[in-house]
Amino acid sequence: MTATSISATTSTVPRHADVVIVGGGIAGLAFARELTARGMRRIVIVERGYPGSGATGRNVARIRRMQLTEDLCRVAAACQDKYERMGGDLGSNVLFYRLGYAWILYEADEVERMRDIVAMHTRLGIRSALLSPDDTLRHLPVFEGGEPVAGAVLSDDAIVHHDAVVWAYLDHLASRDVTLIARTRVTGIEHGDDGVQAVETDRGRIATRVVLNAAGGWSGELNRLAGVRMPNRALRREVLVTGPLRRSIEAAVTFYRPSEGWFNQTLRGEIVMGAVDPDEPEAVEQRSTWAFLQRTAALMTRKAPALRDVTVIRQWAGMYDVTPDHLAIVGPTAQLQGWWQANGWSGRGMLLAPFLTDLLAECLVTGRTPAMLEPFLPDRFSPDDAVAPMSADYYARYGRSTTSADATVPGDVTPNAPVP
Amino acid sequence: MAPRRLLPSDSGPSPNPARVRFTFDGRTYDGVEGEPLAVSLFAADRLILSRSFRFHRPRGLMCNTGQCGWCECEVDGRPSVRSCRVPLRDGLVALGEHAWPSVDRDLFGWLDLAARWIPPTFYHHRFLRPRALRKWYLDVLRWFGGRGRLRVGGVSSADPGRVTRSLDVGVLVVGGGPAGLAAAEGAAAEGAAVALLESVAEGRGVDAVGVRVHTATTAVGWYDGVVTAVGPETHWTIRAGVVVAATGSYERVPAVRGADRPGVIGARLALELIERYAIVPGDRPLLVGSGSDLADLTAVRAALVAAGAKPVGPIPPASLRRILGRRRVTGAIVANGGRERRVSVDLVVFSARTPNLDLVLAAGAAVNMRDDVVSPVVDDVGRTTVPRLVVVGSAAGWPTSGSEGPARARAAGAAAAAAVLGGLGPAHTDESESSPAITVAPVTGRALVCFCEDVHVDEIRAQCAAGYADPELVKRRTGALTGPCQGKYCRQGFVAAMAGVAPLDLGLPTGRPPLRPIRLGDLVPAGGSGTSDLDDAT
Repeated sequence: MTATSISATTSTVPRHADVVIVGGGIAGLAFARELTARGMRRIVIVERGYPGSGATGRNVARIRRMQLTEDLCRVAAACQDKYERMGGDLGSNVLFYRLGYAWILYEADEVERMRDIVAMHTRLGIRSALLSPDDTLRHLPVFEGGEPVAGAVLSDDAIVHHDAVVWAYLDHLASRDVTLIARTRVTGIEHGDDGVQAVETDRGRIATRVVLNAAGGWSGELNRLAGVRMPNRALRREVLVTGPLRRSIEAAVTFYRPSEGWFNQTLRGEIVMGAVDPDEPEAVEQRSTWAFLQRTAALMTRKAPALRDVTVIRQWAGMYDVTPDHLAIVGPTAQLQGWWQANGWSGRGMLLAPFLTDLLAECLVTGRTPAMLEPFLPDRFSPDDAVAPMSADYYARYGRSTTSADATVPGDVTPNAPVP
Repeated sequence: MAPRRLLPSDSGPSPNPARVRFTFDGRTYDGVEGEPLAVSLFAADRLILSRSFRFHRPRGLMCNTGQCGWCECEVDGRPSVRSCRVPLRDGLVALGEHAWPSVDRDLFGWLDLAARWIPPTFYHHRFLRPRALRKWYLDVLRWFGGRGRLRVGGVSSADPGRVTRSLDVGVLVVGGGPAGLAAAEGAAAEGAAVALLESVAEGRGVDAVGVRVHTATTAVGWYDGVVTAVGPETHWTIRAGVVVAATGSYERVPAVRGADRPGVIGARLALELIERYAIVPGDRPLLVGSGSDLADLTAVRAALVAAGAKPVGPIPPASLRRILGRRRVTGAIVANGGRERRVSVDLVVFSARTPNLDLVLAAGAAVNMRDDVVSPVVDDVGRTTVPRLVVVGSAAGWPTSGSEGPARARAAGAAAAAAVLGGLGPAHTDESESSPAITVAPVTGRALVCFCEDVHVDEIRAQCAAGYADPELVKRRTGALTGPCQGKYCRQGFVAAMAGVAPLDLGLPTGRPPLRPIRLGDLVPAGGSGTSDLDDAT
């Protein structure tokens, strides 16, 4: 990747490529890296904005092993290991930091369910603990004076800096045979009986036999251009950030009930937070709303009254690319030969993408599908699933535990969240 | 050689101002009740009120409008409050932030001497070895970060919350200065229903019938054409046929080294200090400005001379090369006919009005840059490239001196009202106007562009040279435009620094709401549920 190719100054695209990756976010960049690590060359990344301009640059980069089901915990642990090694692998610091992670619980039956989940974590070697209400306030005094807590599950999970991850990949790819064309839109996909033939962009045509759809919230649009039907939809999520404060919140916090919200302090000291709108409509939409500010202020000051004196300086929105089962879509597509997917992250792209694209590259180069990739393969959906109704609730799916009958979760009783 | 109060006279805020006592960083001071905290500290010769985030550079009172954030300190337990917005009361306790042992004498101020070797991306390839210390490195970094203290625990009383009310109006005027008032009058005279928002509590009234004035109410957002505003007890969501932005202008800090030193202040603040608060800001001030900005400086000069000060200048901004002094202004380097000389001054008063683009950028209206100033693209009645947004007065880059300014704003208000009553929003201006015309003055490498994040001109250019020339990437890699001033004081400098080294046809990086920093508690809707009162919100 040459220096200028990151910017918009490249006016034409290469005419041929071995692999074209559409989307210069975490999935596209990580996949390019994993391909070059396996000796592949002539890779072109087409990015509609600037690298990381979609969800990659809009999330808060929590890298959490502590999940609600055993399958997910195993994958997430491998993903976190990947991040822990990333500094050495890429030669750049991505600010991997074990801030700690806490689910705050407000109802007694939530606490009961969590006993089994913590036991499952312990079995898998994930360090988590169930805290009493007193211990919760001792560890997170920000909740003092707020809605009474019933307890918390605390783990030693981590955050990274999302932009630092993008820079790490860009700096790494700069010395390899990868061209990133920014500010460029894909206008069409040429394909015939034997699969993909070319990607058409507003800067020219790139002939290729392999395309990766790593377009995040836009992956649905891109699939339609290729005539491929997949069930993932875009769902807006909003974030606000405060001015920097001295370290005072020693965990990334999430609560599910009675409404879903989260906050944490960055390494610089800003507090990022958000309250989820359970009725958020599906749409490719990145505009901010006033209702989000009100909703978040109401929820946070009720649970953590000390936060009422922090100052909001900025808000933004990004998109979750959500699938019906809330598992990512990663792998080749039977519907169109040469059309590969790395999308449908359902809000977990930062966590999952570096590791799963590593497996995907293995799959592409060797033709063998690694076992851990199986749950994420695109062909678990038939084209007819593309019209399946979808739950707006991110956690609803985990009510159907895949490994442990006990591993039910807080979100499963949210009244307006039908399990698909 | 220090600010001093004039003897009590009829020029003071009131004939017998009530004296109150307050503390700042443990020391007790005298002040005038109701006067802004930052002004009282300035009058008491406490010039350093805060330290910059990255390099702990001393900062003090500069704009007195709540925009720059240089006067942020902890006030009565509340973190990072803009002290120019805090009316002084007896027993008030203020503390400096982000400094040790105090903001006045901050040991970390030495970091600034190493600024050249600590680029914004300093950590990218560092702190990875030895592996065992990675967490420790970040703990140290984390310790350097932060700013205000969040007082956790012991909070009990809940904020009452604000009632959400919606308003449908023909013409909404944002800003109650001369241009806003004139536009509101013009619109009302045409028979339109007009509402006017003024963030200051003591905003002036409007005589015209049909103008609904909301004082102490600040517009904080433009969400798809709906303007939101926060008042003392109300959250407003306002739908208007036309929004007239009369948000005025602010003074751009000179693009030279040392421009952020305590004692570098805007012309309007200088005038306000003398005329409203009876404070002489300095004995030997240097006045900097040219062109249309000279009107302000002429008034400042006259007021300073009347108060016994000995001003130097005005000199044109291009002649100012550097401002000297570490903890306060002690001098300046001025170019004079190709030669540079040092002048000994204790205050720098600058005037370089630049439009407030908050609503313009939030609405996505086109801007251009001419003669070093970024202005909205408007036609002669203020219509922008966004159909329902009109900009008037100094926010549109119109001259404000004389009677011409208000008359033009009145005509624009009338035209907006006529368009609304005729069932039509104003038409787009010719899009060909919106191609950026970039003419910028040269800026020197070690001058600061972004004051919130201490980003230097050469750091922006270094990002471009390293291949990250997209303005959005430069913004993210340096932090410029993302600080608490929300880009107000760096946007123009950013464009100037990028000019010539990167393509600017991409436009400015996205501005993000809200338009002003807002305390989280002030965003709580009444009832606290977050949804029950949102029926008429966006």
